[in-house]
Amino acid sequence: MEKPQYNTEIVKSFVHWSVLWGLVAVLVGVIVSIQMTNPEMNFPPYLTFGRLRPIHTNAGIYGWGVGVIFATFFYIVQRLCKVRLWSDKLARFQLWFFNATISAAALTLLLGFTTSKEYHEMEWPIDLMIVILWVSFAINIIMTIIKRKEEQMYISLWYMMAAIVGVAILFLVNSAAVPVSLFKSYSAFAGTNDANVQWWFGHNAVAMVLTAPPLAMFYYFLPKSTGVPIYSHKISIISFWSLIFMYLWTGAHHLLWTPVPDWIQTLAMAFSVMLIAPSWGSVINGYLSMKGEWHQMRENYLVKFLILGITFYGLQTLQGPMQAIRSFSAFIHFTDWVPAHIHMGTMGWVSMVCFASIYFLVPRIYGKELYSIPLANLHFWLTLSGQLIWSISLWVAGVLQAGMWNAMNSDGSLTYTFMETMVEMYPYWWARTTGGAVFTLGVLVFIYNLFKTVRSGEKTAPLTASSEGRA
Amino acid sequence: MDLAATLYLGVTFGLFVIFVGIVMRTYSRKNRDKNETAKYRMLDDD
Repeated sequence: MEKPQYNTEIVKSFVHWSVLWGLVAVLVGVIVSIQMTNPEMNFPPYLTFGRLRPIHTNAGIYGWGVGVIFATFFYIVQRLCKVRLWSDKLARFQLWFFNATISAAALTLLLGFTTSKEYHEMEWPIDLMIVILWVSFAINIIMTIIKRKEEQMYISLWYMMAAIVGVAILFLVNSAAVPVSLFKSYSAFAGTNDANVQWWFGHNAVAMVLTAPPLAMFYYFLPKSTGVPIYSHKISIISFWSLIFMYLWTGAHHLLWTPVPDWIQTLAMAFSVMLIAPSWGSVINGYLSMKGEWHQMRENYLVKFLILGITFYGLQTLQGPMQAIRSFSAFIHFTDWVPAHIHMGTMGWVSMVCFASIYFLVPRIYGKELYSIPLANLHFWLTLSGQLIWSISLWVAGVLQAGMWNAMNSDGSLTYTFMETMVEMYPYWWARTTGGAVFTLGVLVFIYNLFKTVRSGEKTAPLTASSEGRA
Repeated sequence: MDLAATLYLGVTFGLFVIFVGIVMRTYSRKNRDKNETAKYRMLDDD
């Protein structure tokens, strides 16, 4: 079969921009963590924790995460379908509209325009831009899949389609609002319905942005990096469908002990626990794919990122359901345990897989050897240690915080004032800042390595799967 | 049981039946081997 000419220019562009937004996300993350320990570092009205924190999360999830999704999906879909991208022009439009949307989101959040819905803070004009952006992306990917020359669809394509459809549904429903001015709108839902819809969106943004796409990348880049196929395609299919059937019911576990009807809370709790099975289906499939290949953990930096990534996914999908149980949630909710959980997912699972994907892509799309494998290994250790310092310190902080909040004297009064519990947090918050700084240093090493690869890396013959990533 | 509860139950049961159908189809004798071909094909040179 004649090999198609794939569009790699668009992949390059999305890699550049996603890395830039990723750098913004981690830098702002370090700044907001310093603002927690040093309140005098808040400079009202624009540079305060309240304005910068959503910029950190949105730049991280939508600038870095979605930017890498665009880059990798465009790379993967062409190769798994053995056809060129359906429309180069649409993809190019999408690139610039993506940057316009992220910039507009950052600017309006800085100016204080917000819906106050977590992970969906952008006001309605930005929502419209996101809809245009996502529809462009969806059309291009789905049309490429429709005109594919491969009969069997590899599992990554299923996860990609789920992410595209899932994000569209979630975003449209949660965006329903009544605009009252150019930058102010009110939700179309009221009271507990609004909360329920918001967390149906919020938790499933985790599913459709931070789970399905990284799984698509993992299932593609792991076998490509090791040179051996995944253990079982059938298990991946069953894991996929069970994940899809279960995930959308779990959002209300964010609303345990609230006025949301009890049965909705119980349903969310039950489905959250059941979700362990499909999640671990993928984890085990990943581990079994390494059968006889574990030596590559020493020799292949890509495998290190990918296997540690799927390991953190496994840990994340055990910790998450645990937090979704009423009794545990009562203890841990609103404490620093929760951001630690989220950051194990974003810094451990999602970013590890994204880093591996970009390391895989860049030498191939530029036709150059990676500038330095030792630097890639250094990046791996900085990422791992930064994330662990971040997460472990805040898990400890969360347990301490919960213990202090719940401590009571014999007469039923609280043992500690809220301020006393806050003061106890300072050492852990400093540890968090340190972890974030170490992670950011890793990102800088990553960017330097990519920059040198593009600028001065040696030209190479096309890389084969089995030669990829060896130290 | 009112109409809404019956509908919820019906939809849940329907989804479960679809899921069982997917599992049976994936592991059926006819598709068992065919469903593994994609994992080898994706390793072809790009």
